Amino acid sequence: MTESGRSRNDIPFDGSTPIGAVPLESILCTEELRNRPSRLPEYENENRALVALASALADSPRTVLQTLADKVFEVLHADSAGLSLLTKDEKRFYWAAVAGAWQPHIGAEAPRNFGPCGDVLDHNIPMLFNHWERRYPYLSWAMPLADEGLLVPFYVNGKAVGTIWAVAHDKRRKFDAEDLRLLERMSRFASAAYQVVGSIENLRLEIAAREKAETAVRELANGLETQVRVRTGELERSTRDLFDTNRALETEIAERKRAEQELRRSEAFLAEGQHLSRIGSFSWRVATDEITWSEQLYRIFEFDIGVRVTLELIGRRVHPEDIPLLNDMIERARGAVSDFEYEHRLLMPDHSVKYLHLIAHGSRDRDGRQEYIGAVQDVTQRRLSEEALSKARSELAHVARVTSLGVLTASIAHEVNQPLSGIITNASTCLRMLAADPPNVDGARETARRTIRDGNRASQVITRLRALFCKKEATAESVDLNEATREVIALSLSERQRNQIILRSEFADDLPVVAGDRVQLQQVILNLLRNASDAMSAVVDHPRLVLVKTERDEDDHVRLTVQDSGVGFDPHAADRLFEAFYTTKDHGMGIGLCVSRSIIESHHGRLWAAPNDGPGATFSFAIPSAPGGLTGVGTHRDIRTPAVTDAAENL
Amino acid sequence: MIDTYALVSVVDDDESVRESLPDLLMEFGFAARAFSSAEEFLASDCVGQTRCLILDIAMPGMTGPDLQRELKLRRQDIPIVFITAHRDETVRPRMLEQGAVECLFKPFSDTALLKALNAALPAS
Repeated sequence: MTESGRSRNDIPFDGSTPIGAVPLESILCTEELRNRPSRLPEYENENRALVALASALADSPRTVLQTLADKVFEVLHADSAGLSLLTKDEKRFYWAAVAGAWQPHIGAEAPRNFGPCGDVLDHNIPMLFNHWERRYPYLSWAMPLADEGLLVPFYVNGKAVGTIWAVAHDKRRKFDAEDLRLLERMSRFASAAYQVVGSIENLRLEIAAREKAETAVRELANGLETQVRVRTGELERSTRDLFDTNRALETEIAERKRAEQELRRSEAFLAEGQHLSRIGSFSWRVATDEITWSEQLYRIFEFDIGVRVTLELIGRRVHPEDIPLLNDMIERARGAVSDFEYEHRLLMPDHSVKYLHLIAHGSRDRDGRQEYIGAVQDVTQRRLSEEALSKARSELAHVARVTSLGVLTASIAHEVNQPLSGIITNASTCLRMLAADPPNVDGARETARRTIRDGNRASQVITRLRALFCKKEATAESVDLNEATREVIALSLSERQRNQIILRSEFADDLPVVAGDRVQLQQVILNLLRNASDAMSAVVDHPRLVLVKTERDEDDHVRLTVQDSGVGFDPHAADRLFEAFYTTKDHGMGIGLCVSRSIIESHHGRLWAAPNDGPGATFSFAIPSAPGGLTGVGTHRDIRTPAVTDAAENL
Repeated sequence: MIDTYALVSVVDDDESVRESLPDLLMEFGFAARAFSSAEEFLASDCVGQTRCLILDIAMPGMTGPDLQRELKLRRQDIPIVFITAHRDETVRPRMLEQGAVECLFKPFSDTALLKALNAALPAS
């Protein structure tokens, strides 16, 4: 296809050929390979070279290209040999590996489109060149000059990536067909080696990327662990705080007890008259109602010293609610002579309340007339500390409730987690069976059936828990709701006093009795009163007023209403009020109303809430009246606390 | 990765676990057996063949950790994955410290279980 020795004038001018350079054909002598006498194959050498290459590939893939150059140099008896690879942008070749005389030129570069390597790739055939510097003068830097250069392309995955070449620097060495065969064989090997080296390089990159990702994940996990540690620390701290509060409360209680004991001791001292200045004393001649007070007693009652003391004068200071108590005391004193002891309250002109403790010793004078001599102690301070003590106690009880709730929650979680575990495992199995090819429909059906059964089981656990809470059977007895309510009002007196709440009650006279559990109903009433108190604790701009009302309701029901003037509630939240653990209070557990509603419902009644037109809210319940029962007039009152009148308590 | 014919034994007093877990294990490609107590497992002929034990911690009679100790005494070195419905975060580190492969809180996901099993039965 080409002929050497053509006159340069016969060659048309080619734009890519530098001016003054010879055409490609004039430097090619590939055809000569056929005509030259071929040397005999040296199979042993060839095999040794291939084995050396294979072990280089196995042992140190990165140096395999240089080994290739060395072996080409050796097997072809060349003066120089090497491997040129295309750069990434495919615009240049670089001498990736060189052996022999040109070894110092390793790493040299040449343009892709203008040089023997480019010619070989363009024509996609092996080529034998003779003094290529005639066409590519710039190659003259590679000294000594190449007399002959034999090049073959090599490919990776069908893509040409470079050439392998052998060079003879003088005319003594002429390449022949055997050399071409060897070089092509080496080229095939180079393909494989190149691929392997490439894969190893990719693998290395992949490993690096994976290691980087793993480091990132580890760092993320470390971050999470730190977060968990921090959160756990916080929880531990708050638990410690709770215990500290608990301990503080216990210490406080112990201190209160000590204070009480000390108070009692000083009472004894006072009784002996050792500290009369702190105790008021009196004498009372019953027949004439002649009463003598010590100065201290005037101070306690805040009357001018020397004013004539009468029972009527005393009555003006006694708390209106305690008047019946006073009358009772006077009546008893007028009867049999005995010692007596009372506690009652004074309501002072400035509306403050004093608690008095009265001890009297009865005797008869020489003429047989009754006379009492007694001491009156202002025990307001003691009462206040008792109240503080009871507050501390109830706070302690709250802590205990919270603690036991934690235990309860854990056991509920345990009970529910068991069937949940079955549900999740069955559902996972079901999905896997459906995703199989072919899907295992029968198996999936069975696991789905078990999922449902375990779901029911979880629901039964909840039902069982519910039954546990309502374990106590309500006892059915005739309950006078008026009387039951009065008891609750009396019992919660100190709480209202502390919270400065005024309670008014309006009880219907002709209220039928209801059938039910008295204690449970009283729990509900107490809860409603407490809620009312709590709702008003922040009220300062108007009186804290509670109205408790009983009345007949339609359908033979009896209704009790507790109306407060507190913060009220959002009408949209009316239903949520009765959910367990729903609370608007800072310290509430949110179970009171929920339990109350379940009690009233177990009495076949209903409990509901409504916002007032003005401030506050009204909670009511209605339960059926017992068949044929009416409240007995003048039913007994079995409590001895200060009686609560139906009039306003002014505290 | 997984030895597809390895026997995984489940010991749990909870019936729904005994019913559901073996099916899932078989979906994973294991052979599976379930026992309602540690005693039942010890009395069976599966002890020597079991390649991994999924063991409930709290059981009436012999507990999970009891069985673990018993197996150690018998020199039966079976990898153990503990499971428990009582979510107590302090339990897991304790179990791992005492040689468990993993400790899963019920309910656990199939992927969490598979991960534990892969850790218990590394490719040989």
